[in-house]
Amino acid sequence: MEEKKKSPYNMWQNTGFMLSAAWRSCPSVIFLCIALAVVTAGQTVAELLIAPAVLSRVEEAAPLASLLLTIAGFTLLLLLLSGLKRYLDTNTLFGRIKVRTDLLGRINLKLAQTSYPNLMDARFNDLSGKSFDACCSNNSAAEHIWTTWSTILTNLLGFAVYLAILSGLHPLLFCVIAVTAAAGYFVDKKISGWGYRHREEAARPIKEMGYIRRTATSRPYAKDIRMFGLGPWINDVWRKSMSLFRAFLRRRESVYLWINLTDLLLTLIRNGAAYAYLLWLTLTGGMSAAEFLLYFTAASGFTQWVTGILDMFNQLHRESLDISTVREYLEYPEPFRFEDGEPLPKDLAVPCEIKLENVSFRYPKAEKDTLQHINLTIHPGEKLAIVGLNGAGKTTLVRLVCGFLDPTEGRVLLNGEDIRRYDRRAYYALFSAVFQDFSVLEASVAENVAQRVEGIDVDRVMACLDQAGLTEKVESLPKGVDTAIGRQVFEDGVELSGGQTQRLMLARALYKDGPILVLDEPTAALDPIAEEDIYRKYSGMTQGKTSLFISHRLASTRFCDRILFLEQGRIAEEGTHNELLARGGGYAKLFDVQSQYYREGGEHHGE
Amino acid sequence: MENKEKKLGYMAAWKLNLRAWGIWQKLCPQVFASTLLASVVTAVTPYVTIFLSARIIDELSGERRPDQLLRWVVLTLACTAACALLQGVLTRWANYARDCAGQLGDQLYMDKMMALDYADVDRQAVFDLYSQIRQNESWAGWGIRNTISYFESFVTAVVQILGGAGLSVSLFLSPVSAGSGLPFLNHPLCAAAMICLLLLAAVVSPMLSNRGDQYWVSYAEEARLGNRLFSFYGFLSQDKSRAADIRIYQQQENICGPYLAQENGFSPSSSIARCARGPMGLLNALSQCVTVVLTGLVYVFVCLKAWAGAFGVGSVTQYVGAITQLFRGLSALLETMGNIRANGTFLETNFEYLDIPNRMYQGSLTTEKRADRKYEVEFRDVSFRYPDTDQWALRHVSIRFRVGSRLAVVGRNGSGKTTFIKLLCRLYDPTEGEILLNGIDIRKYRYDDYMRIFSVVFQDFRLLALPLGENVAGAAEYDRARAEKCLKDAGFGGRLSSMPQGLDTWLYKDLTEDGVDISGGEAQKIAIARALYKDAPFLILDEPTAALDPVAEAEIYAKLNDIVEDRTAVYISHRLSSCKFCDEIAVFEDGRIVQQGSHEALLAEEGGAYATLWHAQAQYYNE
Repeated sequence: MEEKKKSPYNMWQNTGFMLSAAWRSCPSVIFLCIALAVVTAGQTVAELLIAPAVLSRVEEAAPLASLLLTIAGFTLLLLLLSGLKRYLDTNTLFGRIKVRTDLLGRINLKLAQTSYPNLMDARFNDLSGKSFDACCSNNSAAEHIWTTWSTILTNLLGFAVYLAILSGLHPLLFCVIAVTAAAGYFVDKKISGWGYRHREEAARPIKEMGYIRRTATSRPYAKDIRMFGLGPWINDVWRKSMSLFRAFLRRRESVYLWINLTDLLLTLIRNGAAYAYLLWLTLTGGMSAAEFLLYFTAASGFTQWVTGILDMFNQLHRESLDISTVREYLEYPEPFRFEDGEPLPKDLAVPCEIKLENVSFRYPKAEKDTLQHINLTIHPGEKLAIVGLNGAGKTTLVRLVCGFLDPTEGRVLLNGEDIRRYDRRAYYALFSAVFQDFSVLEASVAENVAQRVEGIDVDRVMACLDQAGLTEKVESLPKGVDTAIGRQVFEDGVELSGGQTQRLMLARALYKDGPILVLDEPTAALDPIAEEDIYRKYSGMTQGKTSLFISHRLASTRFCDRILFLEQGRIAEEGTHNELLARGGGYAKLFDVQSQYYREGGEHHGE
Repeated sequence: MENKEKKLGYMAAWKLNLRAWGIWQKLCPQVFASTLLASVVTAVTPYVTIFLSARIIDELSGERRPDQLLRWVVLTLACTAACALLQGVLTRWANYARDCAGQLGDQLYMDKMMALDYADVDRQAVFDLYSQIRQNESWAGWGIRNTISYFESFVTAVVQILGGAGLSVSLFLSPVSAGSGLPFLNHPLCAAAMICLLLLAAVVSPMLSNRGDQYWVSYAEEARLGNRLFSFYGFLSQDKSRAADIRIYQQQENICGPYLAQENGFSPSSSIARCARGPMGLLNALSQCVTVVLTGLVYVFVCLKAWAGAFGVGSVTQYVGAITQLFRGLSALLETMGNIRANGTFLETNFEYLDIPNRMYQGSLTTEKRADRKYEVEFRDVSFRYPDTDQWALRHVSIRFRVGSRLAVVGRNGSGKTTFIKLLCRLYDPTEGEILLNGIDIRKYRYDDYMRIFSVVFQDFRLLALPLGENVAGAAEYDRARAEKCLKDAGFGGRLSSMPQGLDTWLYKDLTEDGVDISGGEAQKIAIARALYKDAPFLILDEPTAALDPVAEAEIYAKLNDIVEDRTAVYISHRLSSCKFCDEIAVFEDGRIVQQGSHEALLAEEGGAYATLWHAQAQYYNE
């Protein structure tokens, strides 16, 4: 599965990308990053020097004033540096979050606007998921890269200063330090890689436990859990995953113990060498105790810079891959035309005519066509119904008409022109639609109806709510049309029932008032009287519009001008309700099944 | 530190903290043992190094005897290695225990949520409480989760203080020589002043930084709406089921964008960022500066004494090192105390949830297992209001279920049908009136026993993303033949035989790539199979065919009759077609039963509620 694809952008290019993103969103991020590195390195160096400097004054029995002056000087320096560092630390977060969330905004917009077929493209989905991961938290690549870079700069500065201090010593000692540092780093990396290599082992139980937790604590499951006594089962599953996870952790920690052990050994070698060499110097060359302290501290501290640099570049490399993914995603090619497409003709004839010319469609990786050779003209102002069993291709047909999918074969024409030439977003603007999946937003009733936050025409909202039969409900809400729906965002929001939600979706379609109305099973959650009410209003709603009505309840489509009966991806029959009944085909048979319970004198299945 | 804001006192917070430790002790005892040992070793190690290197420096600045130097160096190397070894082993153990605890903590909330009275689960307040706990946890581990790390920092700090004090006692005791010109250093007041300064700085520094962090705590409330907005609108575009609407209605551009833009949460223009540039940043910086000043003073005091001949150069490093560590310990202790106090407020939320009592009365009667399934249920003048509402959802409902009969419950949306079922299943208790099982108030039975007599397919039933067979049985171990039979009875047989892994097929793709996606209709059939598997005397189906197409619907209806056998069955539907083959129909309107009788009898009542509903639907099928 693992595609060894070379990332199109390298570490430097991706750093450049982030720099330019920061430059646009919040330039101070860059300066803070550099300042923090300089101050941190300065502080570390000052801390290294203070003890030996003071000690040498004591050792030499220097005049009291000189001793105090040294202490005062270093204290002042440390005061400035560490105070400034803490201040900067407190302030780095906000700009970085801004840069990241702005990037997240771009990712969101891409996903919301991308050509619909991309959503069925595995590679696109993969990139999209990874892009969100790269931007979703403070520790994600898009924010953490700043920490990485400031740490790299700190380490480079520290490295340079320590190098200068140690340059007077024997190169062999220097070699020992460098080699043990590098060895420690690589051993650590090799061993910690275990966690990465075995990540699937941990991911599975964690995922299961997370799922079980969400399920056990979510309200919709509560009734079933109680009625069917699912508690023991749920706990069983959880405990099973937990013991897998425990076993994983046990193994992981016992493997990681080797990191501690090698580190211990290497430290022993390094310190031993440093002690031996430095003691030899003091005993033979008369080095002072203070100098001994300085060199010894520098020698053991030097390791930290070497590992730091290696570690951080490695980190940068990983984060760079994540950012590369974000860029690939943002640049993912669009099969549809948007800004580069033609605008819709200004004098677009309304109501519109939509024509499907020999249209076939096959989903990616599917073995057969979902729709085959559909020829269909939806005449201007016509009320067309599409009926058929589940899986007959109704929804796919709607997706083609609405321009979410392009046919594999054949063309979809708007007033005679292939829709592929137009800006697809302009084409979407023609449709008012209620699809099967509700998408209620956590926003006010008015915002849900108008589908915008600003410039809401309240009178029109009221009129549409009225038409959808929601006036009474909305008036009973605490803040009327300004009442929020849902509780995920607003704590004083209200929950609507299925039927009310369906009516709200209808009101939303009415508010948009597009020349083409599409209703996909709009009455599934309504009771009979409400259902009838909607049907009666339907004629009013479709006045002057081309409309498309999808249902598996055949009865509901009788008021349409024409009914298409879809079977296995083909238009099996078409005509008015009566024509289709008279024909005695599939439609008539299906109607018979559905209506048998309603017809007077129908067979009684009771006893 | 005394704030005017409402904040928990130290004592109260400590009590809560101890209770949380008690919980961990029960959930994961290893966490305490391992953390205790690891923290002690971690805190002691630096002192070992400080003490031994001081001896080397002493020797170097003194007589420089090679054999002594060798001894100290070998000792230093050996001791540090031993410490590192111990530390490695213990921290690995502690890591293991802590990672386990991280998961085990979830058990608390799961168990509680599953044990709550349904009425409480349904209460918005309870739900808000729980989501607040989740938010606090995911924000920075606030609540029970954080108390483990408080234990760690508490132990570390205490050991640091003790060790530091032990290594620096001699600093105050060793006198300077008389001729040094600095005799005042020998005066006890001088040592006392030094100790006071040390304590003062140790108090002031964390106080300042706690004061700074307080801005975060008070911002939490303000940021909550922002976080909620972000977690909804920030990821809306990922919801595939919204993809069509997002495009048709340009939701990202017109709604998500503006909502996210109006909420600046943690951006540079937010009030918390302004605080960081102003008071918060300065307080933090100041807190750091106090530490540095103290370090300076320690150097002055120690060096003056050394300069005056009280001890050697090596001891200077020892004292400076020890006092710096001691000071760190003190600050850490105070910081931990501050954290424990701040966490108290969050713990209160945790415990408020965990302490929700089970108010529903539970009797001790058992529902005797009756082979003949003769369970007679009766509603006697039952009225019901949902908690915190003043509208009656059910009013004066009286009905008796005939054993082995089929009852249809019909009515418009919101007429009380589902509430009726919830009372029958004792998810709620009636506000007035009583429900009787074989003549005895159902409250007098054991709750789980009473539950055993009902199989329900709720309108909003849920299946779990676990293997199919386990879903049907509601258990990990089950009777495979029976599960298969139930699935076939529910009309799922065809699909089941097309599944290569049969009953072991995982539903949905939440947990495995090999999971199968099932349609709404198929899910409903599985839910029906689950109800059948339970084989309870009462079978209740709430809108059993809503997600099915007409052919499947007809199939199910034809089958239901055989499936139900001698059970008492209750169907709720607004598709009246399902009523015709029921023995009796109860028509609900505004919480009351307005009509009751057979299909023919009810239809005959011209202008009655049932006739109106019937004709609304039947007109499409009758010419």
